[in-house]
Amino acid sequence: MSQIEIAGITKIYTVGELGIKAVDNISLKIEKGESLSIVGHSGSGKTTLLSIIGGLIRPTSGRVLFEGIDVYALDSNSISEYRCNKIGFVFQFASLLPILTVKENLLLPLIFRSAENPRDNSKGNEQKAAELLKMVGLGDRVDAYPSQLSGGQQRRIAIARAFMNDPEIILADEPTGDLDEKTEADMMNFFKFMNEEKGITFIMVTHNMELANKVKRQLKMSNGLIREL
Amino acid sequence: MTNEFTLFSLALKNVKRKPFRTCMLIAAIGLLVSAIVFALSFVRRVDSSIKITSERLGADLLIVPTESSGAAEDILLENKAKSFYMDKDIVERVRNIEGVDSLTYQTYLVSITGVCCDVPESIIVAFDQGTDFIIRPWLNKKIGRRLERGEAIVGSESAFNIRLGLTEVDTVLFGNIFKMVGVLDKTGTGLDTAIFIDDNNIADIFKKGKANIKPDQISVIFAKVRSGYDPYKIASQIEGSIIEVDAVARKDIGKSLIYTLRDINRAFTVTLSLASILSIFLVWAVFSAIANERAKEVGIMRAIGAKESHIVMIFCLEVFVIGSIGSILGIISGTAFSLLLTKSFTILKNLSNDLTVTERSFIDVLSFLLGTVICIFGALLPIQRIKKLEPLLAIKEE
Repeated sequence: MSQIEIAGITKIYTVGELGIKAVDNISLKIEKGESLSIVGHSGSGKTTLLSIIGGLIRPTSGRVLFEGIDVYALDSNSISEYRCNKIGFVFQFASLLPILTVKENLLLPLIFRSAENPRDNSKGNEQKAAELLKMVGLGDRVDAYPSQLSGGQQRRIAIARAFMNDPEIILADEPTGDLDEKTEADMMNFFKFMNEEKGITFIMVTHNMELANKVKRQLKMSNGLIREL
Repeated sequence: MTNEFTLFSLALKNVKRKPFRTCMLIAAIGLLVSAIVFALSFVRRVDSSIKITSERLGADLLIVPTESSGAAEDILLENKAKSFYMDKDIVERVRNIEGVDSLTYQTYLVSITGVCCDVPESIIVAFDQGTDFIIRPWLNKKIGRRLERGEAIVGSESAFNIRLGLTEVDTVLFGNIFKMVGVLDKTGTGLDTAIFIDDNNIADIFKKGKANIKPDQISVIFAKVRSGYDPYKIASQIEGSIIEVDAVARKDIGKSLIYTLRDINRAFTVTLSLASILSIFLVWAVFSAIANERAKEVGIMRAIGAKESHIVMIFCLEVFVIGSIGSILGIISGTAFSLLLTKSFTILKNLSNDLTVTERSFIDVLSFLLGTVICIFGALLPIQRIKKLEPLLAIKEE
């Protein structure tokens, strides 16, 4: 059984009376520990597809199966648990909460988990946050606020946060958008390490073909349709 | 890295995010709660004063000269110095009415500084120690004997006015020197500001000719009704057979004040309801703006695992913190207003009964709950709207 099986997914956005088909009857299988990239121009539907895989937006039709379970057949709470326990998101925009420090931003996914299970080890979580920050090269900025960081630093914090909940899948939307060449390479190495050493499935969306080629499997999206490269 | 990070600490950080807006919201809730505390204290104080007076009289009926029941209530409830008289032979006529068990009478004399007395304007109550059942229980407790001619005992409030402490002092009343031999416990009734003398002293007061009263006149008769008899029926019997008097059943004491109070109560209710609705709209407007501002953040939180209930919890905690702080400040200011403004309201100025700790606590708890619930109620719709947004749509909402 594939880790993720997408079966006949279509997503139509309704704008006024107009229906815009962002994803058009896509079927896809992704195995556990795989690393793949989805390339395509702006508006090709890649972010929508990534969001559908991550349980962020309900498809108009079709199914997303995670280890055989139909994600969108679950109730709202269970979909949240799926996102909380299985998925790590890296968004294409600054996604840190401005009122929280770097440390708190990293701990954010875990407070939703510990709200359900108050015995969650907060000391251990803080240690994990410190380690991840060190891995993305920002171990000395734990108490900084996002406004005190550059766009690239914020992006790296967001990348570290995606790994805080020990996800099984990382969904990264243009993850190196704000990064300089060297940091981009560092972050891609970080993703590669987590994918190869920890077996975390890595799905990246990008318009950068060069970046897309750094992972094993490439897919191309255009007008809501997908094909293997 | 210490200090545990929880949903509550996140909510607190959100509260502090826009201090001016938060302060305005707290101030609005505070003002509303302050008004609630003030109104409840006002209504409760008048209500409780009437109840206590009625209970402590120990009589089932109050019999006064026709059209004087209001004046009698003014004395008993509001400490107003008033005089009204009827012939003493009415006592015997009332005693002869079937169902009347025991009765006693009192005569009210108004003291006026500079004209008759060296005490500030207050009511002098002459009572018949032979038949009295109103004052005697306190008298026995305080001095353990009957009041002699030329002696007086004062209500707790009057003691302060005439600077009577533990030592006995002499005071001139209607040209006669009276020895103040004790202070009564606080009763919570209008009689706390009275000075009590034995009925026999009235003869001396006549001799000096300084009181506006004729011989053999009294002000009020207190009657107890035999068990099994209805005080209301006896009251109407008395009024039917003795045309010169009005009879008021104990439960009706303060009725005119209660009617006035009811109107005040209605005015308060309408004003507070409008203020509450206004506050709900204000909270709704503020939290709608907050929900719009934070849609993207909510989307991010949902994307990284927050359930709808977590979002509701974060917002509700914020509302609760704002509502609680506003309510507490409102309770403090409302209590302060109700104490400070007492002197500005005639009806309160003359009421001697203050609220008990239990009554105050009840008002405080009720006001706190109202303030907080109004705050939560106002924020419910925006919270419901934001929690229902699909995460990706919330993220894209700017």
